[in-house]
Amino acid sequence: MALIELKDVSKLYGFGDATNVALDEVSLTIEQGECVAVMGPSGSGKSTLMNIIGLLDHPTHGDYHLGDKKVSRLGTNQRAKARRDKIGFIFQSFNLLPRLTAIDNVALPLLYKGMSQGKRMKKAWDMLERVGLGDRAYYYPRQLSGGQKQSVAIARALVNEPQLIIADEPTGNLDSNSSRLVMELLSEIHKTGNTVIFVTHNPELTRFATRVVYMQDGTIKHDEQTRLGEVGRYARAVMYAVPETTEEDDLAGVSLLMNVLDKRAEAPKAGKRAARPKAKKAAPKRKKVAK
Amino acid sequence: MSLRRENLRLAYRSLQAAKARSFLTMLGIVIGVTAVILVVCIGQGVKQQIANTLGRYGKDVFVVQPGQSHGGGGFFTGMAGASSSLLTQQDLRTVQKASGVASVAPLSTASGSMTGDYTVASPFIIATTPDFADIVQQHMLSGGFFEQSDDGKAVVLGMSVAQKLFNDSSAVGQTLAWRGRQLMVAGVFDDFKAPPLSVEANFNNAVFVPYDMAQKATGNPLGIYQILAKTQSKGGSAKTLGAVDTALVTAHGGARDAIVAPASSAQSASDQTIHLLTLLVAGAAIIALIVGGVGIMDVMLVSVTERMYEIGLRKAIGATNHQIMRQFVVEAFVLSAWGAFIGLLLSCITVGLLRAYTSLQPVLIWQALLFAPLIAVSVGMFFGSMPALKAARKDPIEALRHD
Repeated sequence: MALIELKDVSKLYGFGDATNVALDEVSLTIEQGECVAVMGPSGSGKSTLMNIIGLLDHPTHGDYHLGDKKVSRLGTNQRAKARRDKIGFIFQSFNLLPRLTAIDNVALPLLYKGMSQGKRMKKAWDMLERVGLGDRAYYYPRQLSGGQKQSVAIARALVNEPQLIIADEPTGNLDSNSSRLVMELLSEIHKTGNTVIFVTHNPELTRFATRVVYMQDGTIKHDEQTRLGEVGRYARAVMYAVPETTEEDDLAGVSLLMNVLDKRAEAPKAGKRAARPKAKKAAPKRKKVAK
Repeated sequence: MSLRRENLRLAYRSLQAAKARSFLTMLGIVIGVTAVILVVCIGQGVKQQIANTLGRYGKDVFVVQPGQSHGGGGFFTGMAGASSSLLTQQDLRTVQKASGVASVAPLSTASGSMTGDYTVASPFIIATTPDFADIVQQHMLSGGFFEQSDDGKAVVLGMSVAQKLFNDSSAVGQTLAWRGRQLMVAGVFDDFKAPPLSVEANFNNAVFVPYDMAQKATGNPLGIYQILAKTQSKGGSAKTLGAVDTALVTAHGGARDAIVAPASSAQSASDQTIHLLTLLVAGAAIIALIVGGVGIMDVMLVSVTERMYEIGLRKAIGATNHQIMRQFVVEAFVLSAWGAFIGLLLSCITVGLLRAYTSLQPVLIWQALLFAPLIAVSVGMFFGSMPALKAARKDPIEALRHD
């Protein structure tokens, strides 16, 4: 039985002429134990998809089954309980409460579960130890580095022992060292049997995934299984297409990426092997972004 | 139960974590509560002070004073009339004999310095008869009023003049020298809460001497500036006043040159004043309440809006609407209750200081002390939790974007 089953899920914002389609009839099935990387340009609907899977947002149309339960039309409190018990969410901007200490932040989901103070603290402590921040338990978020903040956020996401961990660009605000740390934590979580879904812009990070989903314009363009430790094939194409990292380059890279993906879309039947040299041509000065 | 204690503990923690915001919110409530209580208490105090100044005599007391009646001439306006012509002892007897009159007391002034332990050069001396005490019904601080049997040697002092003549020592039983006579202090009046309008005519400054003795001492008949009288029936009938008026007109050969008026005519005027003052205080209290309430509302709304992000985040990690509401209700309650309590304390202290250091005499009104905090707490809780409920009903992602 699939853990997540999305069927023709759409999300529209605004109405009338200003209607904006963030998700366009997306269908996606994710099995228990998968580690899915979601890639795609900005505005492609990745975050919206994450928010809907994470029950932070509700779809405009379509069905969503989480486990054996249809959750697309649940009331707010039911959704809150489902979030609390089944889902751990990790945000790009950490989203810790600035006025609470690390351990209090981690213990927050347990509070809403109705756990006693002593148990909460014990569990939160264990979780902080697990992410390597036992010695920072009583620090406030502002006293922690980005990587440490994200580790606290991961501890918070894990503290309820959820089946599903969703991370929306968990490394988006982090330097490469912290990114690696965070990704290693996530992959460790995956190894203990959790289902992990994460959004990333960095093709290298697909090495941690067992499956890579590419999105564009609110639809899933491509969906492939990969082996752990390997960069996804599509990701590789994208990776080689992305040059070094000044901001201008980044922008150029994004349009390049669009080009590549567009060409793929134009000639999907022409065979993927044939498409690959084209991508190389499009970016003659190819470099690896990261190790 | 433990859940509730837990909630309180958490509320304290969260309020402590945001000290500045909590302080400002609380300040709004403190000011609201203090404003309402102070306005009501000061207003009530002023009202009582004015009521005391206006004076209250029994309904059966009426006054006769020289002068033409011009419309609704009050009790004390007669002081001006004292300068023109005065009433005589003959008039006193006429009033006394009129049907329905129980007792009369003349009020005359006399002059001459008085010496007790200290000398007062020009005391305010009122010559009257023993019935004065019965009519005025003023409480004595010590001793008693002089009697007919005192041989005209006993005098009674107002509180202030007793202080001037004998300083702190007890005046009763001491002797006084006035116009070569040795007089004995029979008693000292308690504070006249209802003094006449001028400082001189303040009974607290007056030395009350027996009329007959004063007449002998000064050597000429003492004109009477006012006759205080009391009717037999408790009600103070118009009939008695009419009879007195007729008797006086007859005695004066048809000229109506004396005014007979119930002492309570002054009272009805003051009743009107006090009624208006009551309305004023109530109006001011309502305005203060609205201003305070709006202030509390503003502060609460702002602080909740500021916390949209927090609400979104708490929901994102699994808080139900109910749990969010409970958190905000408890926090709003803790803040409002502390604010109201501090406001209560602050206003009590301010009332005390005002009483001690200014001429204002605010009084603590229990209704204000009860309702101002109650209303502040309800307003605070309502506006502290309603926006939170609104925020909690949204999808968490919407509230999260709200930063």
